[in-house]
Amino acid sequence: MRPAAVALVALLVLVIVGPVLAPYSPTEPVGPPYALPGEFGLLGTDQLGRDVLSRVLAGGQPVVLTGLLGALAGSVAGAAVGLIAAVRGVTGAFLMRPLDAVAAVPPVLVLLLVLTAVPGRSGIVLAVALAGAPLVARVTAAAAAPVVSRAHVEAAIARGEGMAWVLGREVLPLVAGPLVADAGVRFVGAVYLVTAAGFLGLGAGAADWGQLIVEALPGAVLQPAALAAPVLLVALLAVSVNLVADDVVRRSRTVLA
Amino acid sequence: MIRLVGVRLAGVVGLLALLSVLVFAGVDLLPGDPVTSRLGATATPEHIAEAQARAGLDHPLAERYLDWASGLLRGDLGTSATGRAVTDVLSDRVANSALLAGLALALLAPLSLALGTWAGLRAGRRGDRIVTTASLLLVAVPEFVTAGALVLVFAIGLGWLPAVSLVPAGTSPLAVPEVLVLPVVSLLLLGLAYAVRVIRAATAAASRSGHVEFARLNGAGRGELLRHAVLPAVLPVAVQVWLVTGVGLVGGAVLVESVFGYPGIGALLVGAVQTGDLPIVQALAMILGAAMLVALVVADLVVRIGTPTLRTGAS
Repeated sequence: MRPAAVALVALLVLVIVGPVLAPYSPTEPVGPPYALPGEFGLLGTDQLGRDVLSRVLAGGQPVVLTGLLGALAGSVAGAAVGLIAAVRGVTGAFLMRPLDAVAAVPPVLVLLLVLTAVPGRSGIVLAVALAGAPLVARVTAAAAAPVVSRAHVEAAIARGEGMAWVLGREVLPLVAGPLVADAGVRFVGAVYLVTAAGFLGLGAGAADWGQLIVEALPGAVLQPAALAAPVLLVALLAVSVNLVADDVVRRSRTVLA
Repeated sequence: MIRLVGVRLAGVVGLLALLSVLVFAGVDLLPGDPVTSRLGATATPEHIAEAQARAGLDHPLAERYLDWASGLLRGDLGTSATGRAVTDVLSDRVANSALLAGLALALLAPLSLALGTWAGLRAGRRGDRIVTTASLLLVAVPEFVTAGALVLVFAIGLGWLPAVSLVPAGTSPLAVPEVLVLPVVSLLLLGLAYAVRVIRAATAAASRSGHVEFARLNGAGRGELLRHAVLPAVLPVAVQVWLVTGVGLVGGAVLVESVFGYPGIGALLVGAVQTGDLPIVQALAMILGAAMLVALVVADLVVRIGTPTLRTGAS
C-alpha cells in the first residue's frame, strides 16, 4: 500500500502548489489552437490556444476542495442521522427510510437531479453529500447499535443527560474509527462525482480535470496530450485514493475486531 | 415464498412512491423554475406569471404532484419543455440505451463468471493477483476516464474505431455497428471489474468449504469440482451481481454515452438538466430509480430461492 500513499501525497502536493507553478494563466490564449507539445508549452495548447499544462496544474484544486467539502458534509450529516437512528428506534426507522430511497438512486442521477435545482459548485457539494450520507448513516447505525446498549450509555441516559450529550460524549468516540475509515471511501465517491460534474459540463466554470477531459475529446485527434494528461491525473487520483482508503478501512476493522 | 414475493413487491411500491415524492418535490421546491429560466432576465413579471400559469405552476405543489403521479400510473409522463410528449422524446432513446446496456450485460455475464471462478480457484496465486489488481484499478477509475483512455488508444492511436458514435437520425445504432464497440467495451469494463471481484470472492469462499476439500481429497478433478461443488454456491451470487450491475450500467451509461455522443437516455438526461427541462429529468429519474429498485428485489429473491437454507428456513 505504501506506493499508493506516496503517489497520493505527491498528487496532493501537486494540486496545492500547481496553480503557483503554472507558467501561464489557465484562461489566456498563449498560442495557436491545438498546438502539439513543444514550442507552445510542455503539453501544447487546447482548442482555444490556452496552455494545457497550466490548465492541468490549476484543475486539481476545484476537484479536491469540492470533493473534500462534499465528503465532509455527507459524513457529518450521515453520522448524525445514523447515531439518532441507533438510539431512537421508531424515529430512527422514520429517518432511515427516505435515505434508503436515495441510496437506491445511482449517484450520477442524484448529481443531475440536484444540479437541475442548484446549479454550480454548491450544487455539486450538496449532491456529493446526498449521495454519500445514506451509506454513512447505515455504517454509523450499524457501528453504534452494539454501543448504545452498553452500561455507560444507559447510565448517562439514566442520569438525565440530553440526547446530544449522550451521542456526542458516550457513543461517538466509540464509533469514530469506522467513521473516519468510511470518510475515505466517501472521498473516493466525491472525487468521482466532482470530476463527473465537470465532465458533463455542469462544473462551476473552473477548469477542473473532468472539464478538461470533455473539452479535449473533440480535438483529441489533433492534440492527444490535452486528453491524455487529465485522463492520467484523474485515474491516478482515483486509484491512489481508493487504495489508501481500502487500507484504512482494513486497519480500522482489525482494531475493532 | 409467494408471501415473501408479495411483501417485497409491496416494499418496492412503497419505496417508489417515496422516490416519486423526493424526485418531484426535490426538483420543484428548490429555487428557480424552468419557465422563468427559459424566459431569461429580460422577461417582465407579468410575462413570467402568465407563462407559469400556462405551465400550471401556480397550482399548489401537492395538486401538481398528484397530477404528475397519476399521469405516471397511466403511462403519461407529461409534456417536455420543448412541447413534445415525454414518452415520444424517450422512446428511441430508451431503446438505444437498452441496446447498449443489453450488449454489455450479454458479454459481462460469461466473461465475469469465467474470470471470477478462474481467479477464485487460484486464490493467492499469480493469475489471481493479476485479475484482482486489474479489477481494483478498473473499479476505482471513473467510467468516462476509462472511455477517454479507450478513445486515445483505439480511435486515435490505432485508428481502428470511430471516436464519436454518430448514428444517422431515424436509424438504429445497429445500422452502424462499429459505433457500438467502444461504448460497449467502456461499460463492460466498468461492470466487469465489480462482477469479477464479487464472483472471485464467492468462488474462493466456496472452494475453501469442507465438502469441496473432501471431494478434492477423494480425487475429484478440477472440472468436476467446479460443476458439482463450486458453481451451485457461486451462481446465485453471480446472478445477483449481474442484475445489480445491469442497472448500474444504465447509470454509468449516462457518462459513457456523453463521451461518445451516443444517442441514448444519458445524453438526453444531461441535456435536459442543462436546459432545465424538468418533466424529462423527473421521468428519467423515475424510470432509472424504478429499474434499480426492482433489480435489487429480484436479485434478493434469486439469492433466497437459490440458497436452500434461506428457502426452507433451516440453518
